[in-house]
Amino acid sequence: MRRSALRIAAVLALAGPVLAACGSGGTPNPAADGANTQAPAPADSALDPNATARVRLVLEPTSLNLTTTAGVALEQVLLDNVYQGLLGVDTNADNKIVPALASGFETSPDGLTYTFHLTPGAAFHDGSPVTAEDAVWSLQQVLAPGSKQPNAKTLATIAGVAAPDPATVVITLRQRDTNLTWALTQRQGVIYKKGTDFAKLDTTENGTGPFRLDGWQRGSAITLVRNDAYKGAKAKVAKVVLSYIPDRNAANNAQATGQTDIETAAEATLLQPFTGNDRFTVLRGTTTDKYTLAINNAKAPLNNPAVRHAIRRAIDKDALIKSLGGAGVRLGGPIPTSDPGYQDLTTIDPHDAAAARKALADAGVGELKLTLKIPNIYPAAIGDVLVSNLKDAGIELTVKQQEFTAWLSEVYTARDYDLSLVNHAEPHDVGNFATPGYYFGYDNAEVRDWYAQAVAAPDERTRTDLLARIGRRVAEDAGADWLYQAQTLTVVRKGVSGAPQHHTSSRLNLAGIGITK
Amino acid sequence: MTVFVVRRLGLLALSLLGASILTFALLRLLPGDAAASVGGITADKAQLRSIRHDLGLDRPLIAQYWTWLTEVPTGDLGHSQLNGSSVTGELGEKLRVTGPLVLGALVLALVFAVPLGMLAAVRRERRDGTAISVASQLGIALPTLWVGLLLILLFAVQTPLLPAQGFPVEGWADPGEASRSLVLPTLTLALSEGAVLLRFVRSATLDVLHRDYLRTARAAGRTRTGALLRHGLRNAAGPVLSMLGVQVAALLVGAIVVEKVFTLPGVGSMLVADVGNRDLVKVQGEVMLLVAIVLFVGFLVDIAQRLIDPRLADVRVREVTG
Repeated sequence: MRRSALRIAAVLALAGPVLAACGSGGTPNPAADGANTQAPAPADSALDPNATARVRLVLEPTSLNLTTTAGVALEQVLLDNVYQGLLGVDTNADNKIVPALASGFETSPDGLTYTFHLTPGAAFHDGSPVTAEDAVWSLQQVLAPGSKQPNAKTLATIAGVAAPDPATVVITLRQRDTNLTWALTQRQGVIYKKGTDFAKLDTTENGTGPFRLDGWQRGSAITLVRNDAYKGAKAKVAKVVLSYIPDRNAANNAQATGQTDIETAAEATLLQPFTGNDRFTVLRGTTTDKYTLAINNAKAPLNNPAVRHAIRRAIDKDALIKSLGGAGVRLGGPIPTSDPGYQDLTTIDPHDAAAARKALADAGVGELKLTLKIPNIYPAAIGDVLVSNLKDAGIELTVKQQEFTAWLSEVYTARDYDLSLVNHAEPHDVGNFATPGYYFGYDNAEVRDWYAQAVAAPDERTRTDLLARIGRRVAEDAGADWLYQAQTLTVVRKGVSGAPQHHTSSRLNLAGIGITK
Repeated sequence: MTVFVVRRLGLLALSLLGASILTFALLRLLPGDAAASVGGITADKAQLRSIRHDLGLDRPLIAQYWTWLTEVPTGDLGHSQLNGSSVTGELGEKLRVTGPLVLGALVLALVFAVPLGMLAAVRRERRDGTAISVASQLGIALPTLWVGLLLILLFAVQTPLLPAQGFPVEGWADPGEASRSLVLPTLTLALSEGAVLLRFVRSATLDVLHRDYLRTARAAGRTRTGALLRHGLRNAAGPVLSMLGVQVAALLVGAIVVEKVFTLPGVGSMLVADVGNRDLVKVQGEVMLLVAIVLFVGFLVDIAQRLIDPRLADVRVREVTG
């Protein structure tokens, strides 16, 4: 009864970047200290298949269990490399959804049935083939009541998962869900072998990816080795050592002295050792890292939109980005450049300290004293800029740096804050503004309604239009302020090819890295 | 002596118990918990409750303390709340970095500080004595962090002799490589701790130089150096030893900074990371280990002092000599 059999590519061309259609603002700026493209990878015969690639990462995961522990640090290492879902993501093509354990899928005309065809030859690291039964079991674990999967709610529209034959998985939905395919590319979509004991995932893995987990030296490194039995494009190096070097100076020293081959998340203000040096290439990449200034919409006087607009107008984003080394682009709303629904909203609330001051006076707010809670993992310079900007508008800002765990309990859970700054790194997370209980305290019935419509949209254009409308409304309501969308800088040693360039903090596909003989 | 040792051991056990209560209670004052760490910014309130329950964080504090306390004497410091790894096992691994670092720095500090400190005291009015004295003042004044960065710049970046950071992933499988990565950290720690020790040796020696017994020894025909080495050393050793007990604590704290500067996977960086993640069972284990080391060194110092200075054994004599 399937009227339209959409092959994956067709669906994904729609689901992919609306960036091109929406124009300016998002394209990374090819500045002198960052290239948009790297040299083409040499032929495989020129690469050393036994090489070890050493990669600097920043944030070490606290656990290797994707079914229980939240955080991008786990996803960065484990997704694509060790574990896979039915669908994956191509970070080099604006997070386009691509085939992984499923080679393709069809949707029914009513959008309620998705039929996935498993990739022939896909196998777990223990050698057993990936079957539809494994996929059904894995998704059922996420859907089960009391599921500990942090992202379980993104699959809540699923009514049932079935395996009509060993190579076919059928997902039926209660209602249309345009977010389903994206959710399946994420950790909640990972396919485990049926019967996997999730409690043991910290010490054993049986994934399907091009790498096996070799070891975890806590506090130091995670090592991956090539899965030689992998049926897809095999990893080009035999081993990858992921070294956790949080300190930016130490990371630079490690890269400059050859201890690492690739330095991810290099500090923009400290690139001197690498620029104009032909031993290194500095890549500039896109991220969905939205440095979000949450304004407690539920707390007086911040519940007054005029006050929130005044705060937004007081902040000079261009100067802030400059002070951080220029590794960012302005972002006027909640949707980053590579997500569906992006549009340039930077003309809303342009920087004007005098106007901000006047708006506060008009709103009857005289002396405004606010506290900013900011996790201590972010550059202290941001706090300094905000203090001085807000002072120009007559707001006295106190910055309280705190540990991320303290932030989680005080701000995220207890909502005890005026202003808060956190990098919301997750793609496709505009739904947070349609969730009234979220810590932003933002609630707009129309936005909620549009979001529900966007999720249930019959086609991609309708969905994108609705998301764009949400983005604009949230910005016009000053639901929060977006200081900038970060760019990520990756330093690559000469002789290393295929380094991940975009979205590296959340997904880091290592299989393409090659090292010249 | 036996009574003293037994009494001293009893005190050690009591101190450890007190430290365990204090550690446990103080850590519970920190905002946030392991459940927040696990749940991140995706878990809703119901999920957080369920995580908290699974981790046993909703049990009464007394019960949580009791579970931990009863496990500690068996050598089991519990398991990480975040990934289930054994705290004892991981500490064992991390001590293979921190142990050599702290011991190496201690030995290095002693080897330089004792002779140089004595020299600085004896030749305090000469140029070399003054030079040593000024250098040690400088050593105290310079922050460990800065010294570490300077050494990295000089010996790893500008002249690539030694690794700039890190410890081999394979650990001590390659002893040469592992030792090489500990050279600069050890030197950094030894410099700052050695400078303090040097000042102390100098003043202890100065104190001894003016004592009557030294004058008597010289009157009996010994040279100044001879008298100092024969009689002065033993007398100056007492205060230096008790200082050393304190210095071990300072070395352990210094190791936390040095491990951070050099990105070494040691007990110090483990402690910092675990506090950040609120993996409190691990933090308790780590703090207790450090406290136990400091207390045990204090215990050893007390015994050593008795052996060096027999006068301490007789309380009456000690009171008379003041």
